[in-house]
Amino acid sequence: MSEHVRTQEEIAARVKALESILIEKGIMTTAAVDRLVEIYENEVGPQLGAKVVARAWTDPEFKQKLLADATRACAEFGIGGLQGEDMVVVENTADVHNVIVCTLCSCYPWPVLGLPPNWYKEPAYRSRIVREPRKVLSEDFGYNLPDSVEVRVWDSSSEMRYWVLPRRPEGSDGLSEAELADLVIRDSMIGVGPAASPAS
Amino acid sequence: MRPDATELGEARRRVEALVTQLPAGRPGEHAFNEPWEIRAFAMAVAAYNNGQYEWSEFQLSLIESIRQWEQRGKDPDAEPWSYYEHWLTALETVLAGSGLLSESLLDERTKAVLATPRDASHQHAHREPVAVDPPVR
Repeated sequence: MSEHVRTQEEIAARVKALESILIEKGIMTTAAVDRLVEIYENEVGPQLGAKVVARAWTDPEFKQKLLADATRACAEFGIGGLQGEDMVVVENTADVHNVIVCTLCSCYPWPVLGLPPNWYKEPAYRSRIVREPRKVLSEDFGYNLPDSVEVRVWDSSSEMRYWVLPRRPEGSDGLSEAELADLVIRDSMIGVGPAASPAS
Repeated sequence: MRPDATELGEARRRVEALVTQLPAGRPGEHAFNEPWEIRAFAMAVAAYNNGQYEWSEFQLSLIESIRQWEQRGKDPDAEPWSYYEHWLTALETVLAGSGLLSESLLDERTKAVLATPRDASHQHAHREPVAVDPPVR
């Protein structure tokens, strides 16, 4: 074993290398690994982004920082690292709704959202969300936006990864930051759905 | 609720039955902080499910990696604690022990991965929306 302390990037590369070797040798299949990862995918990620969103909802100054430089604002939460170097947060408003995609591969803000869901990586979503975003949101995600809202689709690349600051749900006025974070579901930060409504 | 939630729950219980046999590390240790951790975790279970080694071999290997780290711990330059680095070391050790993996091949492949830019085909920053669907009047 080497003496120097390995960086996260080096370890991540080693894991990737190991996976490619094991698959080539037939020791396991990608599908089997994906399946196992799926079991745990919600344990890394989305709750980190949710905390950031809840803070932005309650602290206007933090929200400005987040919109100005998401990478730096997230660093305040200790969030960053692999695939999160240049993050840009786009804000949903009454007039504008944002949704993210990676048209070429599956670039995704892992540090805040965890592992991408399978549909995010599939060609169907990647091509259709660009051509007919309103229709995809409605047909595939059951999310019907008012006709008056403009939809903007943002293409993440390895240089710049977007994610969405959803609108704060109505009826959430008295909630604490932690309670608000529970309403911030992953899909709302991808832009394929709203934040959850407070339990009535 | 996802239609396969029950099936996922079952699969998860099977995995957790394995994990509970392992040294616990520290409180909250099995939570994942980095995507590679979840990947390394899944690989060890997938290779085991595929009959590549006994789970007890992996378990012993993990215990041994942690023990060695604890011994090195007296050294001020010793590496910081990372449960899943031990996990990865344990996985490499059992695979090498069964002749399924050579360290030199893995080192070489790791260098190749590091030399390839991430998402090599997709490095250009897109600063404007790739599509805009205006309001419907």
